Amino acid sequence: MSAGTQVHANLTEEQVREISDGLDEPDWLTETRLEALEALEDLDMPDVIRTPGRDWTNLHDLDFESLVDPLNAAENKDQVGPDEAEVLSWSDAVAEHETLLKEHFGTVVDPQENYLTALSTALFSTGTVIYVPEGVDAEDVAIRTEQNSRSLFNYTLVVTEESSSVTILERQSTGAEQDEQYYSGVVEVAAGENSYVQYGSLQNLSEEAYNFTVKRGVADTYATIDWIEGNLGTQLTKTEVSTTLSGDSSETQIVGAFYGHNDQHFDLDAKVWHRAEHTTADLVTRGVTDDVARSVYEGVQDVGTDAWDTSSYQRENTLMLSDESEADASPKLIINNHDTEASHSATVGQVDKEDLLYMTSRGIDPRSARNMLVEGFFVPVLEEIDVDELREDLEALIGARLRQRD
Amino acid sequence: MSSDQDHLKETDTEARFEFKKEENAAVRSGKGLTEEVIRMISEDKDEPDWMLERRLRALKQYHNMPMPSDWPGMPDLSELDVEEIIPYIRPDVDKREGVDDWTELPDEIKDTFDKLGIPEAEKNALSGVGAQYESEVVYQNMQEQWEEKGVIFCNMDEAVREHPELVKEHFMTTCVPPSDNKFAALHGAVWSGGSFVYVPEDVTVEMPVQAYFRMNSEGMGQFEHTLIIAEEGSEVHYIEGCSAPKYGTHNLHSGGVEVFVGEDAHVQYSTVQNWSKNTFNLNTKRAICEENGTMEWVSGSMGSKVTMLYPCTILKGRGSTDTHITIALAGEGQDIDTGAKVYHNAPETSSTIESKSISKDGGRTNYRGLVHIADGAENASTAVECDALMFDNDSTSDTMPYMEIEESKVDVAHEATVGKIGDEDIFYLQSRGLDDDDAKKMIVAGFIEPITEELPIEYAVELNRLIELEMEGSLG
Repeated sequence: MSAGTQVHANLTEEQVREISDGLDEPDWLTETRLEALEALEDLDMPDVIRTPGRDWTNLHDLDFESLVDPLNAAENKDQVGPDEAEVLSWSDAVAEHETLLKEHFGTVVDPQENYLTALSTALFSTGTVIYVPEGVDAEDVAIRTEQNSRSLFNYTLVVTEESSSVTILERQSTGAEQDEQYYSGVVEVAAGENSYVQYGSLQNLSEEAYNFTVKRGVADTYATIDWIEGNLGTQLTKTEVSTTLSGDSSETQIVGAFYGHNDQHFDLDAKVWHRAEHTTADLVTRGVTDDVARSVYEGVQDVGTDAWDTSSYQRENTLMLSDESEADASPKLIINNHDTEASHSATVGQVDKEDLLYMTSRGIDPRSARNMLVEGFFVPVLEEIDVDELREDLEALIGARLRQRD
Repeated sequence: MSSDQDHLKETDTEARFEFKKEENAAVRSGKGLTEEVIRMISEDKDEPDWMLERRLRALKQYHNMPMPSDWPGMPDLSELDVEEIIPYIRPDVDKREGVDDWTELPDEIKDTFDKLGIPEAEKNALSGVGAQYESEVVYQNMQEQWEEKGVIFCNMDEAVREHPELVKEHFMTTCVPPSDNKFAALHGAVWSGGSFVYVPEDVTVEMPVQAYFRMNSEGMGQFEHTLIIAEEGSEVHYIEGCSAPKYGTHNLHSGGVEVFVGEDAHVQYSTVQNWSKNTFNLNTKRAICEENGTMEWVSGSMGSKVTMLYPCTILKGRGSTDTHITIALAGEGQDIDTGAKVYHNAPETSSTIESKSISKDGGRTNYRGLVHIADGAENASTAVECDALMFDNDSTSDTMPYMEIEESKVDVAHEATVGKIGDEDIFYLQSRGLDDDDAKKMIVAGFIEPITEELPIEYAVELNRLIELEMEGSLG
């Protein structure tokens, strides 16, 4: 049985048309949405890791029928950028850049990849399009989304032309406290030749929220896509950040930090697809699990047959602060070209006792000592974040959460 | 290396592993898996009812279980038709009396094992040797000194008759129940032959015990069962070797291995597997370790068309230890999907997994591992290291470790690297006067050294030779 039946009962073609009409969308886009809606019945939930006896993340128990409220989406949104680049709301983008949308929409993330991407495609009501023309260096594009409704479906498209660059900071948060919510975000990045995209994201939704996100980029020749992914909020997050290195000498870096406490569950995927020559990838993720929180990490480095001279590195480290928390990891290497240097490593452990002893013997009280060590644990990841604002915010959030602890 | 020597070597492998014998069957089951076939096997073995009942229960479980299908990147099993496999062939030797004098074996069987070097291996300081041909153990010998100390080394069918209490308690009950997976259920239904090793308390068997398995008939399945019980404070090293000639149709090997490591006991289980390249090798091997027990798996996987094998250790007692050292080599048309599983179910347990793989000529190797640390397994530590070497661009090498950590006071580390043979290393060796081929051979030998040094010398030499032969002509 596919998962489709769960939500399909209260979703209709009319609702999808109403959303699409409200945004004044062209017919082809309405059709894409309707096709996605129709496909729901036959699509499965996104893949999760299975080992004997269990699925590492259980998406099937989510009550989508009550979580999804397509016509009452509400949000506060800020989307600003420098004058040289175009940072447009979805309705403005539909009005001004139809050709661009037609060329890229749904090409990086297949709308019908799985049940949740299809749901997102059919129902998204808000979004941002960032277009950076040739040769333009655009700093400080900021997208802030505050969710004020039961469900919110968000879509982001980034297109950079040759030799341009852009830095984007995205944040998701929850407005006036609400009960269970569902946030879904699809991000597509098409990085043109020799362009540079840095996409930072800080997810700090309410701890009652459920979150499904796919952020995926395709890098052309000499292009670089760097992702920074901070996850603190929600009770359940299923997210994938990935890059397809389709152009020669393209590069990507995926830096992730997470902090799960209470009964949070984070399922975090970092994936890179080496599909051209001389490509380089570096995946670094560090996180903490506390209380009865659970982290699931899947890292994939896939080197295709034509990916000659590949360099690919992956590290994942988890620190467990409580006995009841759980940390699962599966870093996968899939290598089809022998001209490859690839490695991955993963560790799970707790705050080092000797370090603690050393610090307390120097007069630091045990709680501060532990907090300092946890903050220190995140340093290698924080150091990889070029954007001061994002790094400082992440650091502050981690520090605040740590001090909430007894 | 001169071409004369190359030629010699090739004839030698052909002679050693790939010769075929006329089939010499006294009893032969029909194809497929029916209750009738199972009853026939059990009857031919003159088994007690309880074993027949276990077989029939396993058969039922087998039919109720789906084939594994949703593993990421799993090998292709579509060419394996279990219903076409002949599950049981008894060669023409008297199974009840058994043979412990090599010269009493029928000539063609003796010849086979002579060519494989089994008697020599025995002369070379082993505590005991068993040899299985098709479905039955045809030769078994144990040095007297060990028998006097109460060590039992016999074939599994004999153990069912002679040591029913031990077998009843341990045979596919807690370690590898038939419900574990489809091929374990299959094995439980049609198993035949294999070894039974029992080491009493505080006895150290200083020399390895060896068993050799040979499949000769076309389209057969071999399902030997190995049960090792090492009582408190005992120590034993068990080695198995396997081979089969090449045939057009597919053979199936689906063995079952159960090891009980008592308190403070130490068991090493070494395998050098060189099935022919039409064999599906789908095994379940598992050990349960009591307090302070140590389990060591050493595996070399060279042959077979498809191997799916993940030796597993359950660290049940406080302070128990597990070590896995594996090497896999996949050439043309081979898919070697192997790894290790460890369940840390008690405090202070530790495990080390060292996996090496080589892929060439379009072969695929995959490390698939699971490390599970249960809640309460305080101070568990595990270190996993996987290294893969690729020779050409038709080959594939994947690493898929899974780590499930439910306990915070742990130390878990996983590391994997993939790379080609370093140009600089080759250049260095060439600059010292070695030709390209020899330079690569030397690098490979260095790469697998951690494995070979764990094996007794004859096996290490054999492993090295096999790898060298596999590498022949593929270098450069």
